[in-house]
Parts: sequence; C-alpha cells; structure tokens
Amino acid sequence: MNLGMNVALSMEALLRSDPLVGAAFWSAATVGFYLLAKAVYRRWPRWWLLPLGSTPALLIIAVLLLDTSYSEYIRGTHWLVALLGPAVVAFAVPIYQRRALIRRHWPLLAFGMVVGSATAVASSWGFATLLGLDGALRLSLLPRSISTPFAMTVSSEIGGIPDLTAVFVVMTGVLGAVLGEVVLAWLPLRSTIARGSLFGMGAHGAGTARAYEVGAEEGAIAGLVMVLVGLLNVLLAPLMVIAFARLG
Amino acid sequence: MVLGFWLVGEGVVRLLSLPFPGGLVGLLLLLGLLASGRLRLARVERGAAFLLSDMLLFFVPAALAVLDHREFLSLTGVKILAVILLSTATVMIATALAIDLCYRWMSRHESRNERSPEHGSAAAE
Repeated sequence: MNLGMNVALSMEALLRSDPLVGAAFWSAATVGFYLLAKAVYRRWPRWWLLPLGSTPALLIIAVLLLDTSYSEYIRGTHWLVALLGPAVVAFAVPIYQRRALIRRHWPLLAFGMVVGSATAVASSWGFATLLGLDGALRLSLLPRSISTPFAMTVSSEIGGIPDLTAVFVVMTGVLGAVLGEVVLAWLPLRSTIARGSLFGMGAHGAGTARAYEVGAEEGAIAGLVMVLVGLLNVLLAPLMVIAFARLG
Repeated sequence: MVLGFWLVGEGVVRLLSLPFPGGLVGLLLLLGLLASGRLRLARVERGAAFLLSDMLLFFVPAALAVLDHREFLSLTGVKILAVILLSTATVMIATALAIDLCYRWMSRHESRNERSPEHGSAAAE
C-alpha cells in the first residue's frame, strides 16, 4: 500500500519535471491502454468491454491516480486528436468501395438518413429541454449520433463544446451498440438496409462494429450510413445554426 | 502507399482554408480522383484501412474532457444519460421503420409493375 503510494508520487514528480516526458508518457499510456482494451475485447466480446468505453475508463483512472489535470493530459496527446483530420479523408475509400450499393439503394438510404438526422437533432433537443438542460450543453448533445470527427466539427459550428460532444459520442456509441440489438429484436424489419441503417445512424462506429456481427451486409450498410450521415450533418450545420438561433 | 495517401490528406487540409473542415475537402477530392480513375484504389486502401480501423484511438483523448466537468457526476449526468438513451432509441426506431416501410412499399410497387425478382431478393435477407 505504502509502496504503491510512493511509486505514484515519484512518477508524478517525474511527469511534472519535463513536459516532453509527460507527453511521451501519456501518449504511450493512451496507445497502450487502447491496444490492451482491443485485445481484451477480442478475447471476451461483451458490450461493456467495448474498447470505445473501456479505453477512456482506464485512462481516467490513471489520470486521477497520478493527479494529472485534463489540460496536462491533452497537451501531450493532442497529436492523436489531430489525426482525426486524415481519418475523415480516409472515409473516401469505403464510400468508393460501396458505390454499387449506393447506386442501387440510394433513394432508401437518402430517405433513411434524412429521417434519422432530423429525428436525432429534434429528439436530442426535445428530451434535453424536457429535462431542463440548455445552453452550450444542449447544443453539444445534438450531433451525438454521428461519428466523432464530424460530430466535433458540427458541434463547434453550432456553438456547442466539441470536447463535450466527443464524450457524448462515446456514450452514445457504447449505449447504442446495445440498444440497437434490443430494437432489432423488437421490430419486425424485413430489409437488411433497415437493419444496417439503424446501427449506422444511431450508434456510428460502435454500432457499425455491432452490425457486422449481425451480418456482413448489415455491417457494410451501417458503415456507409455512418459516413454519409456525418457528411450530411457537416453540410447541414450552417442551416442548424440558423434554426437554433431562432429557437433560442 | 500509406505515405502517398497521408500527403494527399494533409496537403489538402493545409492548403484550403475553406469554411468546411479540411478533412471534408480532402475526402471529396480523394473520392473524385478515385471515381475518375486517376488514382488506383490499391494505392490508398491500406493507409485508409489503418486510419479507419484505429480511428477510435484518435478521439479517446478528447473523451477525457469529462474530467473537466465534474458536474456530470451529479444529477446533470443522469439527465444527460437519459437524453442519450431516449434519443438514440428514438433515432434507431424512426430510421429503421422509415426505411422498412419505404422498402415494403417499393417492393410491392415494383412487383406489381414489372415482376422483377432480382431487385427484391437483393435487399431482402
């Protein structure tokens, strides 16, 4: 017990001594916990072990144990967040690969995405208002259903707090992956498009991973919907700004 | 391959400071190059697969922002959780129902008009 405390204290001192040491340590810890969480999930694929949730949880524990603040942590790991830019560009590849699927089903996909996006924004706003949440917090909740790089962009454009949105996106992904299966068991859905879209629309990346477990085509559709909805929302963000300026 | 892709992405992000996020412009440009046949898919496939399969890692640091918001441990956190759960369920049900009803309507319409079996079976199970 005492030894553990001493180790923690001396590590704290070491991390404070040089910003570069801190940056290297937290970057390594982030990547390390992520790889660990992935390996654990591959071995035991339970929803509460999804790397999406378990990696931040492990890191939060580590940050609290070492008495580090968020600003100290993010200073060292900001370069990882910056990689989201190229990751958005990389979405061009799956879109291109599924061009046949888009060409065949575009009316259905487009219809579902418009209905889904409208429902996402309207229901987030509605439920938040109902429960007495407002201001930047409410705005940060709106782009929650879409994939993080897009969501953070939309959030900052409509006046939310991008970091908070990232937190909500993660929560949505973990909860949505589970919720999707409940909905799937409930609703008598005939088309694979509907089954895939509900995951891609409601729970982005985590949902897509889940949809692949339901079926290969469901997974492909979920991935596609996730990307296209992200794009759609980024393009529509300026319109949302106008709409919410009116609503107050 | 990976490096070539990386440069396309980063270059576009840096060069164009349009009102859209740089990544979006890069995406459209890359999609255009692929569609016009100027760029072979094999050249960017691996780099993109790497970025996308480990995309989760890139936003983990941002999710730790919750540390700066201790108020989430109180009633506000419960409320937020409720909003997320209710809204996500609503979105999923609405999306799935909209598409499924539309799909049923379309396949009924189609079979009455032309009786083409391949269209219906491709999207059904």
